[in-house]
Amino acid sequence: MSKVLLEAQDLSKHFPIRAGILKREVGRVHAVNHVNFELFEGETLGVVGESGCGKSTLGRTLVRLYEPTTGTIHFDGKDLTQADKFDLKKMRRDIQMIFQDPYASLNPRMSVGKILEEPLALHDIGTPKERQERVQQLLDRVGLPQDAIWRYPHEFSGGQRQRIGIARAIALNPKIIICDEAVSALDVSIQAQVLNLLVELQKELGLTYIFISHDLAVVRYISDRVAVMYLGEIVEMASSEDLYATPRHPYTQALLSALPVPDPTKRGTTKILAGDVPSPSNPPPGCAFHTRCPHKTDACMQDNPALKAFTNSSQHFVACHHAETLNQDN
Amino acid sequence: MSTQVANNSLGRRALQKLLRQKLTVICFVVIIIYLSIALLGALNLLPDFQARVGESYEPPSLSIAKIFGTDIFGRSVLFKLLAGTKTAISIGFLVTSIAVPIGITLGSLAGYYGGKIDGFVVWLFSVIVSVPYLLMVIAISYVLGKGMLSMCIAMGSIGWVGLCRLIRAEFLKHKEREYVLAARLLGANDYNLIFKQILPNVLHLAIITASLQVLGAIKSEVILTYLGVGVQDGSSWGSMISDATGELVNGHWWPLAGVVITMFFIIYALNVVGDALRDALDPKLVD
Repeated sequence: MSKVLLEAQDLSKHFPIRAGILKREVGRVHAVNHVNFELFEGETLGVVGESGCGKSTLGRTLVRLYEPTTGTIHFDGKDLTQADKFDLKKMRRDIQMIFQDPYASLNPRMSVGKILEEPLALHDIGTPKERQERVQQLLDRVGLPQDAIWRYPHEFSGGQRQRIGIARAIALNPKIIICDEAVSALDVSIQAQVLNLLVELQKELGLTYIFISHDLAVVRYISDRVAVMYLGEIVEMASSEDLYATPRHPYTQALLSALPVPDPTKRGTTKILAGDVPSPSNPPPGCAFHTRCPHKTDACMQDNPALKAFTNSSQHFVACHHAETLNQDN
Repeated sequence: MSTQVANNSLGRRALQKLLRQKLTVICFVVIIIYLSIALLGALNLLPDFQARVGESYEPPSLSIAKIFGTDIFGRSVLFKLLAGTKTAISIGFLVTSIAVPIGITLGSLAGYYGGKIDGFVVWLFSVIVSVPYLLMVIAISYVLGKGMLSMCIAMGSIGWVGLCRLIRAEFLKHKEREYVLAARLLGANDYNLIFKQILPNVLHLAIITASLQVLGAIKSEVILTYLGVGVQDGSSWGSMISDATGELVNGHWWPLAGVVITMFFIIYALNVVGDALRDALDPKLVD
């Protein structure tokens, strides 16, 4: 296995809920709860989960757009949670992000040339002429015409805008790019183009991706490893093949069974979960999933299972008390 | 999108859009005429409104000086109106140039930083708007002493509230937008985020508000002068309306008619241009 590039330990992000005229804290939204994972150089780690499970918050906490409540993020031997302003700015060159909404993520009052020059100017890279060349190179790299420099974001289609977003993200030659639902807002045919561009860039520039998405098929296509999140926690993490072939957590099993299969004889095997996701401001005690789990026991209601390696595999992690017994028949 | 407009900046496109409407262009011209009159007034090139041009209360006739008739002292109503235009326009622009910078600064800081700064700004404008506008202006201008300048300061120190609220709300909205997050992620500091990223996206509001502020100040001046606060020397539309109350009863309708007509055109023109600016500068409506 290649070297660990980024490591999150016990990472949590809780948003306080304030009420009353004194703005006292009356509760907390547990958006991300005690998450641990390692990110290896050159890989793509997919993060899946349904809306509101904390995927995006996790991504934004990793780059310190949100201050983590607990935990550490180690990158390149340094703890990002302790980084001061100066270190943080240096770190910004190495970790970048591609956003979900290609319409909101580009400043409507800036020309594309300005948008792409901005990261270089902020870090004092090159002379104006060199920056201009770099911008042209970036446009070329993501497959946009050169005259895009003078045009404004609203003159482009969604797919083209996302390419501009990608060009901006790679402008500083980062090591890690966090793609936060990067293709979710695009048409399926455009999704494929953008995904292929991301794969090409990864090969060429040696990028490492964290790919956040609710789309299981997209994540399967692009990821080497996949982490499944439920209510702010990672419940299962394994290599892409392992996870899709033999899901071990009851939640992952239900999630994957909901994937449409283009085979009419396999119809009707969907495991439909009862109930709704509990509120993250009042998560259930014990295993977060026990309120909807068909296999729950008393232990599940009291102890929150830790994410640990599944029997004799060192790469398949699952957070379930009954992972071993449940999956014997599989 | 044709390639011909592709090279144009947003500002130029907005201007093209403005000039496409005939009414807007006419109103633009009207405003420019008023501005030139004010400028001539400032350069002392307007005819002297104190000079007698005829008998007392001559009704309108076809000579230039008497087109709106004469007042009680036989002075030309038209020349008084022109001098009043200078007063009105300078008040409009003075008030706006006090109110807009305060509104933008406080609104940006409150919306961007939130917390205690926001709390203070919200408290400040809540206190100001809790007192009726005219009472507050009268109170402040009495404290500063009567006269045009103190009236302008009074109106300016209250007039920023509307713009401040608007800018604050826009900042609250924009600072969570992904393009701002992206800029922050690229290493932009607060200064860059406020002035280079967010402000250009909300500045059109300031332009629109400013055009309406000029209008509001002109109307307020008339009311305040009518009430006896405000312009003491020189000619103003407000003092002419104030005089007209007595004259009207005696059948001397022309001074009032003159003021109303003069006010009508500038207020109408500012309104139309303000609306057109809103349409042209809103990025969502730029096609």
